[in-house]
Amino acid sequence: MDNLIFVVAAFAIVWGALLAYLISLRARGA
Amino acid sequence: MTETTIPRGNTLPRIRPWLGIAAAASFVVASVMALFWAPTDAVQGNVYRILYVHVPLAWLAYLAFVIVFLASVGWLWTKNPLFDAIAVSSAEIGVLFTGLFLVAGSIWAKPTWGVWWTWEPRLVTTAIMFVMYVGYLLLRGLSTDFSRRATRAAVFGIIAVIDVPIVHLSVLWANSLHQLPTVLRAGGSPALDSSMLLTLMVSLGAYTLIYAYFMTSRVSLELARIRRLWTT
Repeated sequence: MDNLIFVVAAFAIVWGALLAYLISLRARGA
Repeated sequence: MTETTIPRGNTLPRIRPWLGIAAAASFVVASVMALFWAPTDAVQGNVYRILYVHVPLAWLAYLAFVIVFLASVGWLWTKNPLFDAIAVSSAEIGVLFTGLFLVAGSIWAKPTWGVWWTWEPRLVTTAIMFVMYVGYLLLRGLSTDFSRRATRAAVFGIIAVIDVPIVHLSVLWANSLHQLPTVLRAGGSPALDSSMLLTLMVSLGAYTLIYAYFMTSRVSLELARIRRLWTT
């Protein structure tokens, strides 16, 4: 797959940030 | 204000688990479709798959800031704390989504345009939008008086929404490196393959459910915080 590193990086950053926000909501008591 | 004027928000905890399941399931389907099912673009190759997260996050950020505007009007009109809770929650999630679609767009731009960033109208207006709503969140920390803080934030939330149509239309108003609208374009049907459009719509649905799930959680938190504030 051409430019695989860019696709993986973009998806990983988005998924990671969404997961981090979900964890922060849980940590705040949601 | 008395505690009785603060909404209890009993409906949100009941629907939240179902919303979470729907968001997680649609997120998995959308991710599989974006990475494996959608065909490779004839010009861009596989790097275009980044747009299946970039575009839905951008649209949801627009929606989040329009909801900040509507909730701000609601607060000024009714002084109901629920509207302030909705405004701050939507602003926070909108800032997250804007930051993410800027980063995803930048990663897409490097192999496509040859640069991570360029000072062209769409990118600049988007960066301004991001900074404005970070400012909105910071503004809320300037006063401990609930009503004053909510009113100041509401006025800012009403003014700041002006940048949303400017961001979307900037590619039409100025000679821009960023491509023109492909789906939401005036006077024509979406200019992309049907399987690509389907993948984009499934991704949009998934990120809409994620936004709704985050909103129910964040609004509940904010209402609980306001309730604590008024009972101590």
